[in-house]
Amino acid sequence: MATVRSEFPNVPTRGRALPSFLIVGWRWISRNPAVAITPILLPFIFLYFLSLISPPSLLPLEIVGAMLFTMQNIGSWVLGDSAYWRIEHSLQDMFVASPLGRIRYLFGIAFSNLIAMSPALLILTGLLAWAGGREGTPLTPLAFVVLVACLAVLWVLFSAIGIGISSRIRTQREIWPIGNLTFTILGMLSPLYYPLSALPPLWQDAARFLPTTYAALLVQGALGITPASPDQMVLYAVLLVTCAAVGVVIMLRLYRWGEL
Amino acid sequence: MRTSELTVSTRAFRGLGAFLWTEVLVQAHEELAMATSMMVQAVLLIFVWILNPGLLGVAFVGAILYSTFTMGQRVLNEAAYVRIDHKANDLYLAGPMSPESYFLGMAGGILVVYIAPVVVLGVLATLVVHFTLAEGLLVFVLAAVVWLFSASVGFVFSTFFRDNRAIWAYSSLFFNVFGVLPPVFYPYRLFPSYLHPVALLMPPSAAAGLVQAALGITPLSSSEILLAAGGLVVETTVVFLFAIYWSRRTVRGN
Repeated sequence: MATVRSEFPNVPTRGRALPSFLIVGWRWISRNPAVAITPILLPFIFLYFLSLISPPSLLPLEIVGAMLFTMQNIGSWVLGDSAYWRIEHSLQDMFVASPLGRIRYLFGIAFSNLIAMSPALLILTGLLAWAGGREGTPLTPLAFVVLVACLAVLWVLFSAIGIGISSRIRTQREIWPIGNLTFTILGMLSPLYYPLSALPPLWQDAARFLPTTYAALLVQGALGITPASPDQMVLYAVLLVTCAAVGVVIMLRLYRWGEL
Repeated sequence: MRTSELTVSTRAFRGLGAFLWTEVLVQAHEELAMATSMMVQAVLLIFVWILNPGLLGVAFVGAILYSTFTMGQRVLNEAAYVRIDHKANDLYLAGPMSPESYFLGMAGGILVVYIAPVVVLGVLATLVVHFTLAEGLLVFVLAAVVWLFSASVGFVFSTFFRDNRAIWAYSSLFFNVFGVLPPVFYPYRLFPSYLHPVALLMPPSAAAGLVQAALGITPLSSSEILLAAGGLVVETTVVFLFAIYWSRRTVRGN
């Protein structure tokens, strides 16, 4: 009996996942312009609202919060895509049967959603450079590197959370509320849009268990919005990576792939 | 022919009670969606509480009005889901139930279930704002008008969708832009004054403006009050009548 490899010897079986998912991400936003606007919308609406009710000096902190919140929301989109493909189209079965592993599938969906989110992140970076310069907290190259590194860690972590949860969802009706609830609550518990010190003590304690808190503190420290010593910055970085690693391991254990 | 026309007109709301109760039972099992319906309001209230507690009263009134406004989003999602995913609207409407009963039953059922968190908001708002009876009644009436407007808009919009996946992106866009950007959760004085007439013509911010004026937070001239109240009544009446017409028309189209 002929195998697939002997019948189709030139079919590439590796290395095409990310470009394919890039096209998926691009097609999705190019065919549904509102989809490109909506992920930008919520952080921007929050930002607009905050700019009205809070002192202007907090604007750079709030823009950083909007960037981290946008990146965290990728989790909700990963959850939506993977659950929708699995439940509505039974597409995951095809991926399971293909040479694509579950980790590359995760990164593929995460990457396609990063494409959809990138306009929002670019706009917010521009806004941060403008507002930071105005408020005396400029976006230096070091601060930019810290910001990008924190966004990258959150991208991996929240994509893993999204796909882990999505593999347990049974009906389409659950997708949107679960994604919205999970990622908005996680975003609000962390001091993304306000300084950690402004929160009540109990809330501050709870926030210290969340990786997004350390991402926010790191970026705020790097920009000089919330003063932090080099030792504190290292501690925040270690805690961010540790929390993220623990989160990813837990989610990968939750994540069902072939055993559906 | 005349007999059948008469039958239709006298039985315009046939099946309303039964379908409303069906929707209540369906929606009552959607605890997650119910929790999600309060998410934006909760987030904005938290922002105000942490960063500017002096605006908490306005924000609570805005949260009540916004909550009834976003029930239209729920109507949109439900109507589109029932039609696209289950194709159950064909089944419902092939029976003796009238199209307007289908629309109103769905909107009413959603209202019955989703009113509970709004009542909680109302109690909290009363503790913060200390409404008089007249002010409380004004909030109640305006919230009801905003609900009727948004339920009608939601039902009409739902008929335009062909893909379930695109629904929430567009509906979030509509309901957040009209419900959060204008002065619903914050006082009119923080909104550019040259845009006040525009905000007073949007149902959620018109209702918020009228309550803010009644509470003495936002001084509105008599012409501005007339613009807000008149606009709200006219827009709601037109959209509601169009939704009734559209529900009949889409049944024939199907």
